[in-house]
Amino acid sequence: MRKLFLILLTFLLIFSFTAFANADEIKIGACIYRFNDAFMLRFRNAMGDEAAKLGAKIEMADGRDDQTTQNEQIENFIAEGVNVLIINPVDRMASQPVIDKAKSAGIPVVFINREPASEMLDSYEKAYYVGAKAEESGIEAGELIAEYFKSHPEADKNHDGKLQFVMLKGQNGHQDMILRSKYSVEAIKNAGIEPVEIASAIANWDKLQAMNIMNGFAMSIGPENIEAVIANNDEMALGAVEALKNSDYNKGDKDFYIPVVGVDANASALDAMDKGEMLGTVLNDADNQGKAAVRLANALASGGDVKSIGYEVTDNKYIWIPYQKVTRGEKK
Amino acid sequence: MAENVSKTKKLFTVGGLVVLALGIILYFAKEPLGLNRKIYDLPVFLILIGLGFALKGFMSKAKSEDDLDLGSKSFGEFLTNNAILLAMLVLVVVICILQPRFMQIRVALDILTQSSTKLIMALGICFALLIAGTDLSAGRMVGLSAVISASMMQTATYANRFFPDLPQVSIWIPIAAAVLACMLFGALNGFLVAKYEMHPFIATLATQVIIYGACSLYFDMPPNNSQPIGGIRPDFAQIGQMRLFQGIYPGFPGISILIPISLVICVIIWFVLNKTVFGKNVYAIGGNREAAVVAGINVFRNIMFIFILASFLYGIAGVLEAARTAGATNNYGNGYETDAIAACVVGGVSMSGGIGKVGGIVMGVLIFTVIQYGLQFINVSPMWQQVIKGVIIAVAVAIDLTKYRRK
Amino acid sequence: MSGFLLEMKNITKTFPGVKALDNVNLNVRAGTVHALMGENGAGKSTLMKCLFGIYNPDGGEIFLEGKKVNIHSARQAMDQGIAMVHQELHPIRFRSVMENVYLGRFPGHMGVVDHKSMYDKTKALFEDLELDVDPLALAGEQSAAILQMMEIARAVDMKAKIIILDEPTSSLSDREVEHLFKIINRLRAQGVAFIYISHKMKEILEISDEVTIMRDGQYVGTWPVTDDKGEKLTIDFIIKQMVGREMTNQFPPREGKPSDEVVLKVEHVSSPLKKSFQDVSFELHKQEILGIGGLVGAQRTEFVEALFGLRGIASGEIYLNNAKYTNKNPGYAKSKGLALLTEERRATGIFGILPILENTVIANQKNYASLGILNEKRMRIDAGEECKKLNVKTPSLQTLIQNLSGGNQQKVLIARWLLTNSDILILDEPTRGIDVGAKYEIYNIMLEQISLGRSIIMISSEMPELMGMSDRIMVMCEGRVTGFLNKGEYTQEKIMALATQFAGHKENAA
Repeated sequence: MRKLFLILLTFLLIFSFTAFANADEIKIGACIYRFNDAFMLRFRNAMGDEAAKLGAKIEMADGRDDQTTQNEQIENFIAEGVNVLIINPVDRMASQPVIDKAKSAGIPVVFINREPASEMLDSYEKAYYVGAKAEESGIEAGELIAEYFKSHPEADKNHDGKLQFVMLKGQNGHQDMILRSKYSVEAIKNAGIEPVEIASAIANWDKLQAMNIMNGFAMSIGPENIEAVIANNDEMALGAVEALKNSDYNKGDKDFYIPVVGVDANASALDAMDKGEMLGTVLNDADNQGKAAVRLANALASGGDVKSIGYEVTDNKYIWIPYQKVTRGEKK
Repeated sequence: MAENVSKTKKLFTVGGLVVLALGIILYFAKEPLGLNRKIYDLPVFLILIGLGFALKGFMSKAKSEDDLDLGSKSFGEFLTNNAILLAMLVLVVVICILQPRFMQIRVALDILTQSSTKLIMALGICFALLIAGTDLSAGRMVGLSAVISASMMQTATYANRFFPDLPQVSIWIPIAAAVLACMLFGALNGFLVAKYEMHPFIATLATQVIIYGACSLYFDMPPNNSQPIGGIRPDFAQIGQMRLFQGIYPGFPGISILIPISLVICVIIWFVLNKTVFGKNVYAIGGNREAAVVAGINVFRNIMFIFILASFLYGIAGVLEAARTAGATNNYGNGYETDAIAACVVGGVSMSGGIGKVGGIVMGVLIFTVIQYGLQFINVSPMWQQVIKGVIIAVAVAIDLTKYRRK
Repeated sequence: MSGFLLEMKNITKTFPGVKALDNVNLNVRAGTVHALMGENGAGKSTLMKCLFGIYNPDGGEIFLEGKKVNIHSARQAMDQGIAMVHQELHPIRFRSVMENVYLGRFPGHMGVVDHKSMYDKTKALFEDLELDVDPLALAGEQSAAILQMMEIARAVDMKAKIIILDEPTSSLSDREVEHLFKIINRLRAQGVAFIYISHKMKEILEISDEVTIMRDGQYVGTWPVTDDKGEKLTIDFIIKQMVGREMTNQFPPREGKPSDEVVLKVEHVSSPLKKSFQDVSFELHKQEILGIGGLVGAQRTEFVEALFGLRGIASGEIYLNNAKYTNKNPGYAKSKGLALLTEERRATGIFGILPILENTVIANQKNYASLGILNEKRMRIDAGEECKKLNVKTPSLQTLIQNLSGGNQQKVLIARWLLTNSDILILDEPTRGIDVGAKYEIYNIMLEQISLGRSIIMISSEMPELMGMSDRIMVMCEGRVTGFLNKGEYTQEKIMALATQFAGHKENAA
């Protein structure tokens, strides 16, 4: 009991110190679902840089992939007296209580990366979302393939005018997996090419699994019958590349090449693209998302105009940052 | 009975020769008959199988008393004892009909390649099983070893290097570092089990969690920050990707270097288990730990050695996985231990200790890989693959146990 | 009606390569104790396992009260009123005595156990059997004798008509045997039939009504212990039927005498545990057989285990060949020329799932290895020779040891320790549960070792053996040495007096 009291006292002391520091400076409390995530790392760096530029103070908390932990952190931020919250929810469907808390404290809240349902956002006029449209990553991956197919007639190996492709999917049921799989095919269709899925498999975002699966496809279908490989992320695309290399494809010889696309633009993928092993990837633009989130938060906290921050605000709720295509030689 | 036996042997020899002849005929007939795209390398397989059976027939004739295999058992008993093997053969035939491409030498070689790392894992974990334990940390050790070795083996020009200023070191240094790190944790396993008589389930569970945490910390170190490790040096990737005898005849895909590596390890482990004091002690400790103590066996030292040797093998497997895939993340190896345990158990290793043979483990791994590969080959949904895998484990163990219980 | 409660007719059972039972008959009357005798490997246990549903016989019929029955599991056997008290008991150690008694048939309703009624019933049952045990005590803390009574109580409560007792007295002291016989007599008077398996002739003649003898899986015959003319069966007659030959001497003649040279000196050795051995001192001479006598619970086993490094000692000193010896661990003891044949053959002796070869050489592998690699050929030759010398009956060295009879297992274990060429052999109940023929062989081995200049410490609970084999007897009681008796001066009474020195005032001293 006494221990608990001591802990509470310590917390109170910390809060009271932090709460009274620099009362006039804008303070942003950012809750990240997990620090140990490559994409969120870039996001965090972008937010930190932008906040420094704007002269705002930003404090970040690591939710350690646990919604309960994150809720406590949000409460602490509110108790500390931050002016605005940036939330990267652990569970996007559990965002309603977060919004309720912010609303009762009267603090604006900007959600990032994981999108709460629209009725949740609608329940509070100062709730916003900054992110990318997941379907867009699929569309752009599909477009990469379609552009290649059009500009390289030899890519149509069986000369039937259709595109025979293999799809490597992420974890079953994952939102990104569903949308990327669906819209990449749509995009090919929209480009006027008929896509034919000759095989697809779930490789759980994993390079190793993707490699084993693609090895099997190379055997069962034969690489000469595959005209493209579409992977839901770069790691799986790289696994596919390794498997194809195992069948002596994608090693530099133009006659033995299958275009492979992924999503994420991670360093290994860029490296593989430099070597000509992989066609392209799609970048989820963490830099611009981070920038936009901090600018929006700063504007909301200081009562500035959200329309003048340099990013378009749709429906007075959303800022959509487009994905970027990355192909060979185009390093960012 | 003796007549019966020689009859089986005749059956083997004659049957083998028939299959062999069929294979040779098909081999020369497939071109003119236009069967090339229908039966692929089937003739070669037939020739190999025929040769194998015929040889078995010949060999067993030489030592007639020893081998009472088929003759003494009833047909039904033979069926149940080899149910899993037979199920696998039926499956292979079905796959060959559904997708004739399965009958390619390159497919067989690919299956062997994929079995290789699994076999190394299974050989490691069998030590823990032989002393009636288990090793849950095996998979994470693969991850640790893969991450450590890959992190030091990136090309100088790669954009996102783990150690930006690391010179091009000899490939043996990272391999040694990776394997040593695993052995360190193996020693921890052994210490907990031997010193405190902790159940290996708990001890290795604790180690598993520690390893994953430690590996993630390493993986998260700046500037890498949990990015998948890529840009692997080609000389390192060669350890897992090199192919031998490539193109000795047109179209021969080559034998993956992983196959001879795992074979060598297999032979070594067989030797250790059957020919060394340590091996005998493992069986003894697994068979009756108390009696082993009384017989003056240093149980502490042996258990330490068991876990260190096992982790050495996991470390090797991790290095090979990293090399084969030319990359690594901290999630590599996740769940490998369950596959390895399952393969061991299907191969006749008893969970209650003391029983298990290297030959059985090889069979177990091959059966598992063939079934998994085959199902994937004919595009069976991954969910169904899981169901089938589970059924195989349950059936295999049930058969094994009835075999021992039958009196 | 034949008048028999149980009839087993022409029972046949074959294992791969062995005909374990060949047309064996067994007829048991209600209200009698029927002894089943035979050397180890004669097929007694197999026959009982057929009766108890653990094995399915290949041929023959079983009749209970004149009706043919088929028994395929222990459960069915129990339902038919057959209960078995095994030689080695495996209670659920961390549960109470009463739960062990009512295991599998807890009193209660709809899955809820009625602990009160279970307690009362157990209490009543125990009182009936004059057993002073708290039903709530943990089974693991009870002595072997009590556990056995517990099993009998269980059988009684299940209204068993036939109770099989497999070597019931092998771990009991004389006092406990007396108690057991009292209970058997009472139950016999109530009409319960016992099948009593034992090697102890005296006991059998004392307690049984009839004797059935088996030899090599075959039925030899059945005799009443006391015939119509009031004449009793003789031990010699039984032995003759069992082994198929006359056995005049139970013990081989001892030639030569121990030398004066002291090879082992133990001074005031005490266990860290208060209840275990305390202040043990003695000297062992070269070429001497030192017998250790005492009741069960005298801590003899604990003491020799400590000597061998399996248990710790708190104080005292040990000298081996005049050099100080510390009981670090068994490996060290082995290297110093000690060997220990343990009492619990199955628990701490054999590796059941391993072949005879491995079982024989396991303690001596270092001598067959260079750089850790074993020379299998030499192992095979040595193990084969040793097993042959000790007359181990087995088809091959590759046979799993669990398929051998108890006597042969014991011989393999002795072979294991002889291979180590140890100077001091510690034998803990070396002939327990072993048939007469094998016993004689083991005695011969002991004497041969002595003639080779080795020394033996032998724990035995069988008085004739202790007196027949020892050069000197050290008697222990409740962890303390109560006296030494030299050859020629010991009698059964003197030993008993020393063994019960402190135990007189307590029931169930064990």
